[in-house]
Amino acid sequence: MARIDLDSVRKIYPGGVEAVKGVDLPIEDGGFVVLVGPSGCGKSTLLRMIAGLETISDGEIRIGGRRVNDAEPADRDIAMVFQNYALYPHMSVRQNLSYGLRNRRMARDEIARRVEETARILEIDAFLDRRPKALSGGQRQRVAMGRAIVREPAAFLFDEPLSNLDAKLRVQMRGEIKQLQRRLGTTSVYVTHDQLEAMTLADTLVVLNGGRIEQAGRPLDLYRHPDTTFVASFLGSPAMNLLSARVSGGDLRVGSLPLAARLPVPDGPVTAGLRPEAFRLLPDSTSGAFRLDYVEELGSTRLLHGHLEGQRLVCQMGIEHPLADRMTLDLDPEALHVFDAERGRRLDTAWQRAQIRSLA
Amino acid sequence: MVENRPLLTLLAHLALIAGVAVVAFPVYLAFVASTHPSSAFLSGTLPLVPGDHMGETYSRMLFSGVSTSGAPPLWLMMTNSLIMALSIAIGKIAISILSAFAIVYFRFPCRALAFWMIFVTLMLPVEVRIVPTFEVVANLGMLDTYAGLSIPLIASATATFLFRQFFLTVPDELVEAARIDGAGPMRFFRDMLLPLSRTNMAALFVILFIYGWNQYLWPLLVTTDESQYTIVMGIKRLANVADADPQWNNVMATVILAMVPPVLVVIGMQKLFVKGLVEQEK
Repeated sequence: MARIDLDSVRKIYPGGVEAVKGVDLPIEDGGFVVLVGPSGCGKSTLLRMIAGLETISDGEIRIGGRRVNDAEPADRDIAMVFQNYALYPHMSVRQNLSYGLRNRRMARDEIARRVEETARILEIDAFLDRRPKALSGGQRQRVAMGRAIVREPAAFLFDEPLSNLDAKLRVQMRGEIKQLQRRLGTTSVYVTHDQLEAMTLADTLVVLNGGRIEQAGRPLDLYRHPDTTFVASFLGSPAMNLLSARVSGGDLRVGSLPLAARLPVPDGPVTAGLRPEAFRLLPDSTSGAFRLDYVEELGSTRLLHGHLEGQRLVCQMGIEHPLADRMTLDLDPEALHVFDAERGRRLDTAWQRAQIRSLA
Repeated sequence: MVENRPLLTLLAHLALIAGVAVVAFPVYLAFVASTHPSSAFLSGTLPLVPGDHMGETYSRMLFSGVSTSGAPPLWLMMTNSLIMALSIAIGKIAISILSAFAIVYFRFPCRALAFWMIFVTLMLPVEVRIVPTFEVVANLGMLDTYAGLSIPLIASATATFLFRQFFLTVPDELVEAARIDGAGPMRFFRDMLLPLSRTNMAALFVILFIYGWNQYLWPLLVTTDESQYTIVMGIKRLANVADADPQWNNVMATVILAMVPPVLVVIGMQKLFVKGLVEQEK
């Protein structure tokens, strides 16, 4: 177990493409950090740099305080779980688990003990002597995890380990990975493009965009107080509504519709962010500003898709609420996120306002 | 495609039987001829059932040979052929898999050039480079040796290319997982690539063994000593006698015996051979 530190780490590929543009990230001992972002954001490159599978162009990576920039992957005391599992096809499960230990010339009985224990933890004892080919996707996934656990490394690195599983198994394995990591207390770095996976697994969530950290913090903090429109729209499903709006004299209007007043925000164009579940729509057939286009039923809730002042807006509401073609917004101004229209940076938060109010 | 049409099945079987007959009948005739005295073959009407000279002809050919046509005993020639074919097949596989490993997994200057140079040698079969190759072998004093018989035939662009194509299909993650598990390049080669190429190696072995066994021109050039003759040369020597009728029973017995080892190799490796050509274990 160890902490991992990334100091202004950069990756420039031959040809000049800069995949990672200076990332600082301290990872606490025993922490579960999830790197999330759209494809091409550099999250996998970053993970592979920690693993030692990619060279580090600039900056420094330390594992347990030791600089590992030039260390071989095998000497970094890490274990990695790959997206396609990368099990050795010609070896039995037992050999797959023990291969790394055998290469380290560990004593035979110690290897046997560790393999048995790992197999027990992951409940794969029943097929230790089978080949990977004879296993189901979920079982292969477990073996891949087992190959990491059996090494008892300082850190686990996960590269989208669940994306080859079907939806149901993915949810189940997600829970198991979380529990396992808690139990073993091993520092983990997990890469995914699935924001739900990221939210549920992370102690610390790191949203990457274009090779830079967009925002890092506890998942709920990022969800509630996204620093940028990118984070706001990336986390949460359905995504946050982002409306072009204008502030004058502290009043925020979308088109001609006033949404909030007395905001501590300078005048000018802004982007107003509104979570689909953070407001309600009330039927108002005469003056409702929201025009309903269509409804998606999700069972316990439904998604209302429509337009507000010519801009698309989605609302998630319980099924008990009545519907109409025209509706008005029932909105707590504190649910509103206000971003700079040009750069997408947060201008003000309901959270900050609440803080100010509680101090007053 | 699964179809249940009796007429089609019958037709298919008839076609297959005809095909087998066309291939097998001459072989059968050769066998029959080898069991009769030499006069039977020359009489013009060929008997269709085996005669009673089988034991005599075969034991004579195997153990004493025919000194008048300069043919040593067959067991000697077959041993020579076997050693040559095995050296060629194993040597080709060993060299090709190592060069493919180098070309696929290592970054070194002129890697692409090296690959293309190997590839271009496809255009230079033994027959084309036979004079300079003979010169080299002669200067190295390898005439009339097993080394001289096999080494010049060992380099193989085809096998290198085959292994390269196979290695390219091995997922990168497997290489990376092995690296994280502490396997260096040679250990990766031994623990991953070799076992994964098992079926490919078997398929290649069959093809290359037969290639080596059937060599005619090259052994003819580099061997002058009877003790180094190979069986394929022996057939020619027996059939090609001056001032006399060829002893067809002897020739046919040699032909039949020369066929046995390749057939055994094919039968023994059949399962792996088909697997290696059809599927790739991954």
